[in-house]
Amino acid sequence: MIGERKGRVDGFEKVTGRAIYGNDITIPDMLHGVCRYSDIPAGKILSIDVSIASEMNGVKAIALYDDVPGDKYIGPVRADFAPIAGKEVHFIGDVVAVVAAETRNQAIAAAGAIRIEYESFEPVTDIEEAVKELSRLVHKEYESNIVNEYPLIKGDVAKGFAQSDHILERRYTTPFQEHAYMEPESITAVPDMRGSGVEILGSIQNPHKVRRFVSQFLKMDMSRINVHKSVMGGSFGGKDDIADHIACRAALLCRMTGRPVQFTYSRENSIIESSKRHPFIMNYKAGFSKAGKIKAMEIDIIADSGAYSFQTFFVTWRALVQATGPYEIENVKTRIRGVYTNNCYTSALRGFGSPQITFAHESLIDEIASFCDLSPLDIRLDNALRQNSRSATSQHFKDHKVSLIQALDETAEKSRFIEKRKEFSRRNSDGGRYRYGIGIADSLRGCSLGSEGVDISSAVLTVNPDGSVNLLSGVCENGSGLQTAFSIIACEVLGIPLEKVYMMDSPTSCTPDGGPTVASRSTLTGGSAVKDAAEILKDRIFQVIKKDLEVNRSDETSWDEGIIRSLKDCNRFISFYSAVEKAVAAGVNLSAIGYFQGPDVDFDDETGQGDAYFTYVYGCQVAEIRVDTYTGKMEVLRVTAAHDVGRAIHKVGVEGQIYGGVVQGMGYAILEDFNMQGGMVKSENFDAYLLPTIKDIGDIDPIIIENPDKYGPFGAKSVGEPTNEIIAGALANALFFATGNRPYNLPLTMEQVYLGYNLKKPARQSEQAHKDSGKKQIPSLSSITLLNPDNLKEALVMVSTPSATPLAGGTDLLVQSRLTREHQTFVDISSLSELSGISDTDNELIIGSAVNFNTLHNHAIVKTLFPILAEAAILTGSNQIRNRATIGGNLANAAPCGDSIPPLLIYGAVLRIVSENSDRKIPLGDFITGGYKTSLEEDELIHSVILPKPDGKWFWTYEKLGRRNTLNITRVSLSMIFKMDEHLRVEECRIVDGALFSYPTRLKEIEKIFTGEELKGNTVLEAEMFLSQKIEEAIGTRWSGIYKKPVFLNIFRDNLKSLIEEINDDRNNHKGE
Amino acid sequence: MTEITIKVNNKTHELTVSGSHRLLDLLRDDLNLKGTKEGCAVGECGACTVILDGEAVCSCLILAAQCNGKEVETIENLAENNTLSALQQAFIDHGGSQCGYCTPGVLMSTKALLDRNPHPSEEEIKTALEGNICRCTGYVPILDSIKSVLPLKREV
Repeated sequence: MIGERKGRVDGFEKVTGRAIYGNDITIPDMLHGVCRYSDIPAGKILSIDVSIASEMNGVKAIALYDDVPGDKYIGPVRADFAPIAGKEVHFIGDVVAVVAAETRNQAIAAAGAIRIEYESFEPVTDIEEAVKELSRLVHKEYESNIVNEYPLIKGDVAKGFAQSDHILERRYTTPFQEHAYMEPESITAVPDMRGSGVEILGSIQNPHKVRRFVSQFLKMDMSRINVHKSVMGGSFGGKDDIADHIACRAALLCRMTGRPVQFTYSRENSIIESSKRHPFIMNYKAGFSKAGKIKAMEIDIIADSGAYSFQTFFVTWRALVQATGPYEIENVKTRIRGVYTNNCYTSALRGFGSPQITFAHESLIDEIASFCDLSPLDIRLDNALRQNSRSATSQHFKDHKVSLIQALDETAEKSRFIEKRKEFSRRNSDGGRYRYGIGIADSLRGCSLGSEGVDISSAVLTVNPDGSVNLLSGVCENGSGLQTAFSIIACEVLGIPLEKVYMMDSPTSCTPDGGPTVASRSTLTGGSAVKDAAEILKDRIFQVIKKDLEVNRSDETSWDEGIIRSLKDCNRFISFYSAVEKAVAAGVNLSAIGYFQGPDVDFDDETGQGDAYFTYVYGCQVAEIRVDTYTGKMEVLRVTAAHDVGRAIHKVGVEGQIYGGVVQGMGYAILEDFNMQGGMVKSENFDAYLLPTIKDIGDIDPIIIENPDKYGPFGAKSVGEPTNEIIAGALANALFFATGNRPYNLPLTMEQVYLGYNLKKPARQSEQAHKDSGKKQIPSLSSITLLNPDNLKEALVMVSTPSATPLAGGTDLLVQSRLTREHQTFVDISSLSELSGISDTDNELIIGSAVNFNTLHNHAIVKTLFPILAEAAILTGSNQIRNRATIGGNLANAAPCGDSIPPLLIYGAVLRIVSENSDRKIPLGDFITGGYKTSLEEDELIHSVILPKPDGKWFWTYEKLGRRNTLNITRVSLSMIFKMDEHLRVEECRIVDGALFSYPTRLKEIEKIFTGEELKGNTVLEAEMFLSQKIEEAIGTRWSGIYKKPVFLNIFRDNLKSLIEEINDDRNNHKGE
Repeated sequence: MTEITIKVNNKTHELTVSGSHRLLDLLRDDLNLKGTKEGCAVGECGACTVILDGEAVCSCLILAAQCNGKEVETIENLAENNTLSALQQAFIDHGGSQCGYCTPGVLMSTKALLDRNPHPSEEEIKTALEGNICRCTGYVPILDSIKSVLPLKREV
């Protein structure tokens, strides 16, 4: 069964919607818990006033710092974090109070009514400042902002540099990354049935760790705390720490009220409070020979630990061990320091310190290759760790198969790396807007915890009298497929079909601690424990049946598909079921605890030398990209990813890890631009923190390499993390290949690629539109009255009542509504037949304001006569959004990036605006009076959009730029239509920008330059110059101006060029007619 | 409060809903259909996707009171009497689901597409799924799952 293509054992529940996730749990009498977050990123708490909040409807308890019966500070290594802060706040996600109330909205309202006074401190946000002695201490209890400092010294770097022909010194930086598991946190604490203990349920990565902290926090024996995780909607390391904290708060409120309490986080809470990947600043210095052999490497890294230490001790240790990459270097000196700041705290995220250093060492070795005029493949092969090499920690690599060269060779061959480099070079030499790039990167990775901790795991296997099997494990299913791999291992040993094993995550009260589900260690350690348990039971069963089968030893039998057969005489067999029956009758114990204890490792913290991990995996990835040199936008075409996994237990699962890891790594490398400014989180939800969509990924070609390891079950090692640590380096190297510019900073957003540095987006669009004093603790719809008119006439009466707003698709309005505390009245116009149709006359097309974007896009007349409108419509939002978002809503919202506005301006749209007492028409250009501003009166609504049908032949062009390939907020767009006279002069033209100026407008001065002229030479140049000047005047000083100005001009130039070509082609085609 | 009549998974319900109640809340809290998930509440992740009058929509951005007379289909309607649809089975076989939290939304977006267009191109599949964020699978297994159930196109 090992290595076969099997479906997931928990697939049925997941594809039917029956799997129970954290917030699917409802318990009778359950209260809702809500956090009261800090208002500032750093400060001393002077007072907390709960007098109003505690009297509010439905409030049952408010817990503060002083209510904590046990340890007020907790932490995996250093207890520097208070789940309920009382003295100081250290980051914007700190929780100062928690409220339990009968309903969620009551809890939200009460949390908002808690008044906190602070003595505010200037937040420490820059790690290079934070390490300085003069920096303000983030935690005044500690002597320094430096959380930890680790050295690593191998050989003598001074000697190594002296022996080198060349030395390169480079500085690399990497950003925060948010885990963005799709399931936001949800944890429920329930009084247990005996009445004295507490049960904790929900999205929990490491139940035994949760138990430990709740025990400390409540001052309650671990035996009375039973932690039971639900199905996990992803974690990637992110639900390691935060689950501890939410569980502590929920358990406390549960104790205070005697009732179940559930905390379910909004996405905003999740992003603000949860941990992130550590940003690193990495200074690398490498000495090497002319032939590219690296002689010495000196590395100094500082890691932003954020407000608390959590896993920083371990994350930085892994980075220390792996910082030189999979290369054999004689002389190494590395120092790494974790540093406190008032930023979001950082902790475990898939990779755990490795994506940062892999980006650095893979960029550096590529640069050395360029310097020495070597191919990127050759330099890696020349420096690669091989069998019997000594690593940076001087570990002798003899006990596992060192397969880096195999990974390099297989990846290069399958991706046709060498041929493609030539092919892409040839293509790039033609010039033009797009350049192609190909880059390679590789890594080594220590499996499991190594010297980080005690590497044990456990499993409990029970064979039931009917031959079915229950399997419990001390490590947990977080979504990656652990249950499937473990079930396969048990089945392989016992020779039973997969469906006979039923595995589910088990409560801490029934399961021995299996160590954390981290470090890509589950299959290796937990799987070994499962194998151990299964083998114990196999032997016990064998002892009962061996006489019948006339064999003496277990290896004289085969166990397959539920039949145990003698290998000596194939006619002697017994079914697994009958064997179990016999064993039960014989009083055999059919439950066993399997155990795994990792081999000893030996590491000297003073020198950073020794055996860091007991085994390692190797991987290599090649990325192929296309870069838009006019905008800096990178598109991934293809990734080839080879990973030595030891042995693939569950092939579909292993491939899934490769695909998923590569894409998560792509997000890190290109899109995921976590925006923290002055300690405040600006990218609070997925409209600002952009994750890769299905249109952003390219092809992915996985290669599974199998070199079975002596420690893993059936030879299996690790796959989860190595898959996402390599791709950023490969993409950076591909970018260099394509453009000749080497990036040193992630993420490679289009601004980074174009400008050489990143631009931080300002606050989210919806916030700008919304002026509310004081931030709502939990964004959610709180108080809405919805009026449902039967017809337009009724709707107009309703709209005329003060503060009633028309609501159609809701895709803007309901997003904004989540942020307000005020009561809102909406009039639902989405179903009014008067507003929902598209009709036409000889001269006009009339589009009802409640027509959605998909309908608009699919309409035959829109497609033929108003192609830019059709194109803009399909590029708006996502399919789901387009099914709801309406043209009227888009116009009424009047965002500068509103996608329907430019095409409607181009086509001369006139709006029909109606109220109870009026019916007027107004050109769209006059309707929009500014960003988010229109001339719509309070009692009016947009009835329809009237488009005059264009006469004659119009040439058109449209381009929209966003960071992703879909689900974009438009960065800039350009719409142009041209009508030419018989002499190829411009008879008429219209040009409209999108998201460039404060609101989209016809660029009439430019239109004038073109009108009456031929589209060439001086005219085009004059238009460009004028446009350049106009942009400079309008947005030159704006944060985005430095990017938007050149990029818009490039787009303008390129679109004009295509347009001219099309016009000329058209003319040539019609010659002679 | 608004009284509405809504048909969910072929069953008609008469409900009284408050103004701030979303279609998502109606499904999860009133009808106990917990298969539909909340991921971001702003229409950016697609975990809450259901089919409303034949169209895939984010149920987090629709008020329940807007749904009078509407017909809704959710993930719970995909399997008949515990028998998985071919699409569901394909997601299991091809690794289209890992943590599974996005899966109901992905399946509903896919169903809305296939109901209307049984022979979608790869680009059409991607367009139908562009609003469904998946953080685990890297999307490739999702595409493989869907492509495996498409009827073979006859060679022309």
